[in-house]
Amino acid sequence: MLKAAVISNNVEGIEHMFTTNNKIAYTLLEITSIFDPDFTGYDLLVVPNGSDNIALYRIREKILQFLNQGKVLFCFDGWYTNWVPGNKWIMNTDYKTIDIRYHLVNDKHKLFEGIDFDKFNFTHGISGWWACGYIETSQPQDVLMADTWNRPIIVIDEHSTEGLMVLTASGPMADLLFGTNSEGQTSWDEIGRFYQKLIDFVTTRALVKI
Amino acid sequence: MSKKVALIFNGVWSQYTFAKAPKYKDIFELIYVYDITLEQLLNYDALIIPFQSNQKAIVEKKDAILAFLAQGKKIFMEGDAAEELFGAKWEDRPVNNYWWVANPDNPPIAVTDYSHPVYNGLKPRHACWHTHGAYTKVPKGAQVIQQTPEGAIITWQYEGLGGVVLATTLDPIVEHGIQQITHLDNYTDKLVFWLCGVKPEGKFEFVKEDFGIDIAPISEFYATDSAN
Repeated sequence: MLKAAVISNNVEGIEHMFTTNNKIAYTLLEITSIFDPDFTGYDLLVVPNGSDNIALYRIREKILQFLNQGKVLFCFDGWYTNWVPGNKWIMNTDYKTIDIRYHLVNDKHKLFEGIDFDKFNFTHGISGWWACGYIETSQPQDVLMADTWNRPIIVIDEHSTEGLMVLTASGPMADLLFGTNSEGQTSWDEIGRFYQKLIDFVTTRALVKI
Repeated sequence: MSKKVALIFNGVWSQYTFAKAPKYKDIFELIYVYDITLEQLLNYDALIIPFQSNQKAIVEKKDAILAFLAQGKKIFMEGDAAEELFGAKWEDRPVNNYWWVANPDNPPIAVTDYSHPVYNGLKPRHACWHTHGAYTKVPKGAQVIQQTPEGAIITWQYEGLGGVVLATTLDPIVEHGIQQITHLDNYTDKLVFWLCGVKPEGKFEFVKEDFGIDIAPISEFYATDSAN
């Protein structure tokens, strides 16, 4: 079972987004005025949308050390501070949301196999997946998904550090499958399924490394 | 021009993008939630507690916030809220982002008091995009400004603590920072004028140099419009 540390900024609903299940054990690490977390024993660090990018910048060396131990970072946030090695998130509104259509660039790990890509392009008939801006990456060969204008939206960076980084241009993800409530059959279910594929990918990778 | 409004900030990107936009950067000062002091707040006419705040950290600063309000200042609070702050009880509700496509004649807000200065002159579409929960209890004597079709309270105002608190489960600040709803200048600019008497000018834009920034220590962050 994977062990994941989730950065918690105490924003509403965070406690429901990452709950321990048979694949992965989550621990919320709550940001405080003096945030100095211990990542020992974790395989994965999750940075959800709405995290504190001031606090994360302050511990950027610790995150780099974690990654250089071969560990994994999921960042689903808009990291306007420079704490993600080799990658910047740039907010931008040069283009309209209505014109956004995503496409795959390099899915070498087949992460989108079996995933309905249109669910990322449309939610209730509205275009976009609430990803904003784009990623400026030093690893163009690791771009998984790009937008209409070929700007990276998801990067699976396997080269900037000794570890693995799964980065979205602020596109939110969580360990959630809505399924039975009013949000059933929406795009969020498909994004939740994609998140499960990410977890399976990280689990397999961890087993190979052992 | 000295900045007029303090925006409580817990490092969330949408709060940052709003306050750094050239249209607003000369009006708003980001105040890191852990650094709040009354002395610092009193430099400003008004205070905003945005959506996606760290409510636990804000409650720890309750004394400073209430003392600021007692000086006759204005506070705008959006999204969710801790009951400990003003005694109002917020509850979560499903967010309906798509009503304007699926059911445009049935918006999440049915009643709006357009006599309020922030709402006066707004079109219904500009006064309602989506809501993040509802209030099931508001301070005694509070004025209800917006309600759902079921009568749940979305927006209220209270003047019983020396100043004025305007609270809503709308999210004009954070959502404007996200820039996926294009009409929010209407609401936000009226809100800014109500808070501090300044009418924001120009188009909402981002400056690329505000992203991928290096900051250390935090005091430099406040003084720097962009870095790196």
